[in-house]
Amino acid sequence: MKQIASRSVLALLVLGLFVQGAQAGKLTAEMKEGKPAFQSMGPLAFGPEGILFVADTKGAAIVAIATGDSTPASGAKLLKVEGVNQKIAALLGTTADQVLIEDMVVNPISHNAYLAVSRGRGPDAVPVLVRVKADSQLEVVTLDKVKFSRADLPDPPVDGVVGQGNRQSNPRRESITDIGFLEDRVLIAGLSNEEFSSTLRAIPFPFKTVINGTNVEIYHGAHGRFETRSPVRTFVPFTVAKQPHLLAAYTCTPLVQFPIDALKPGAKIMGKTVAELGNRNRPLDMIVYQKGGKEYLLLANSSRGIMKISTDQIDSVEKIEAPVPDGNKKGLPYETVENWTGIDQLDRLDSQYALVVRRAEGGSLNLESLPLP
Amino acid sequence: MTQTFRRLHRTATLLVVVAVCLPVPSALLAQVQPDSFLGQASTVRQGSSLSAQQQGYSLRWVPGLADGRKATVQVSGLSLEAIDALQNPAWNLADWRRVLAVYAEQGDSATASDLPPMLGTYRIQSGVLSFEPQFPLDPGVAYRAEFRLGQLPGAQSAKDARLVAVFKLPAMPQRPGAVVQQIFPSSLTLPENLLKFYVHFSAPMSRGRIYEHIHLRNDAGKEVELPFLEIDEELWDPTMTRLTLFIDPGRIKRGVLPLEEIGPAVKTGKSYSLVIDSDWKDGAGKPLKAGFEKRFRVTAPDRDPPDPAGWKIQAPQPGTRSPLIVTFPEPMDHALAQRVIQVVTDSGRDFSGDVTLEDQERRWVFVPTNPWRSGTYQLLVPTTLEDLAGNNIGKPFEVDLFEGIQRRLATPTVKLLFEVR
Repeated sequence: MKQIASRSVLALLVLGLFVQGAQAGKLTAEMKEGKPAFQSMGPLAFGPEGILFVADTKGAAIVAIATGDSTPASGAKLLKVEGVNQKIAALLGTTADQVLIEDMVVNPISHNAYLAVSRGRGPDAVPVLVRVKADSQLEVVTLDKVKFSRADLPDPPVDGVVGQGNRQSNPRRESITDIGFLEDRVLIAGLSNEEFSSTLRAIPFPFKTVINGTNVEIYHGAHGRFETRSPVRTFVPFTVAKQPHLLAAYTCTPLVQFPIDALKPGAKIMGKTVAELGNRNRPLDMIVYQKGGKEYLLLANSSRGIMKISTDQIDSVEKIEAPVPDGNKKGLPYETVENWTGIDQLDRLDSQYALVVRRAEGGSLNLESLPLP
Repeated sequence: MTQTFRRLHRTATLLVVVAVCLPVPSALLAQVQPDSFLGQASTVRQGSSLSAQQQGYSLRWVPGLADGRKATVQVSGLSLEAIDALQNPAWNLADWRRVLAVYAEQGDSATASDLPPMLGTYRIQSGVLSFEPQFPLDPGVAYRAEFRLGQLPGAQSAKDARLVAVFKLPAMPQRPGAVVQQIFPSSLTLPENLLKFYVHFSAPMSRGRIYEHIHLRNDAGKEVELPFLEIDEELWDPTMTRLTLFIDPGRIKRGVLPLEEIGPAVKTGKSYSLVIDSDWKDGAGKPLKAGFEKRFRVTAPDRDPPDPAGWKIQAPQPGTRSPLIVTFPEPMDHALAQRVIQVVTDSGRDFSGDVTLEDQERRWVFVPTNPWRSGTYQLLVPTTLEDLAGNNIGKPFEVDLFEGIQRRLATPTVKLLFEVR
């Protein structure tokens, strides 16, 4: 999850709820100091005060880390690391083919980049957090003594049936496909490796001792009369008509908008489909940015191009409820940014640039700053 | 006191240092990189900037006693002045790395010259400078330790004078890689709106760009374009021996662009092969022992939710551990049918046992841990159970929105009673 922190700041400003001065330090006050245990590191998201949320899919938990990285960036510094996978491999004492970059996120305050990395590709892979500072040098973030808090995700109801014979080792796992911080909660989109479902979990932050996650089922009307429980792939907060909304990209390609207020325990939400993205558009990452007084959404798609979507009409666009005829894409207009190819990771670096992890020929990965289109 | 007297460890020549470097357990291979070493040795012997005393430096790899992957690098022969200087608390990582750095060789990478040294802990103990890598060393990777004696505080050596020692654990012993044991659904006919495959491997596999190794081909051998839901997280079980492979829901759902534009991934009446390439590496880095192919024919889409009322229950005899057999009219999702269906006693107490699925996932076979007793038992079936097309019990994969979304999410569990007598 990318620019969710800055977007949520915007949302809070709109609501008049943003009281950073009063809250400063409160979010980390109840954290304990020590070494957080990670079985894996997946999606990342920044909250306020330099707090980094790290999704641990294997450990079924979200860990909030007070990075202390809260000094505002001075001037625009473009990050560039050629062969970032090889350099991370060298740093970790292994080879590039044993390094997986799971997610990349930019600290909206310092503009330093953080990468969740797996050292190894098998079941014994070791998770590592790597930071790229303004000088484009790589460093591993030492987590031996940090302030952190951890929220263990509650087992979904289908996990309640265990303990019979060979079912005692439960093969079910819920992969976390995206996380984001919004107002006072962490939102988590998940995808099970067994049942096909759409749940967006909301966990209050600061984390409490006992976490009661909130499962929200979201339906969207892009398929004529037919609908499914399709999982959310990635999401970003977005303000529509002065109200905070989430814009969620689904695995089956619709872009769906729904009000954040609707995210209540056990809620079943009918979202509004605002765009049909069509074939070859598998949502990967989304960021929101402004250019020339207009707001745009940039959607990366599984290394197969990137889409720039104007959000001018998002408030007034007619929701898509009928099947979209061949060749006639309904909803928000968009263009494909042709020369942004091979994008594996995407985040907003600053108001002018995006930061991407991009696949070059030969499998090498480059960390690059690209002017926002 | 001269520098010569203050030396803690003295060896006659650098070549002796080489000998010190070499003895390692037979299972390990530690070597001094011949070219680099000889080149540096020549510098040490002939360079006018190096005094004779400086030849006493020793750089060596010391393999871990219990675990050869936990080797350390040691430099001895340091002067007391150098040790004092190295113990300067103001030294940072960059200072240490100037003196001693270890590189994991990355092959012929274009950026190889620009690669950072690997992470680890530097220590001075008993006059020996040591470096302990942060991560265990990988077999088959060459690790090059460089001790830059010219960078020691107060050094009078040439700035680029250095000793080099390379350590390389032998590559993993050759053994056959993992194999694909089974792909579910095991049926040879699958509905056009099939939702997922489960690929079972004999050993843990490796993650990362796995979809390059998986293909769906039609009966003419032509590749179906983008049939799967490709997600970077990859849907593995905790042991990484089972991969869940969803068909792209955009190719299943009616009324969405992908289906409108390029149609379903598989079409009724046609035959296809799901192919797993042998170059996919397992968790130990070995390619699969062999590729795998599952052929199947496609039948009409299945949009009907499974109905437990139509299941046949074959009750066992009391006093035995004979199986309880439940027969479905259609194949069910292998993973869910195996995990979520539960047997409880009439009072609701869990009745444990082993479950297998037979007859292409049409038959659920439960062998209890303890013998059956006469009486009533319940089969608890969560409505999350899916058939091959993702239809839940009482809830099709695609639902008519005109029905309203609230009405569909009814009971979480269906109870089926059976008598043992």
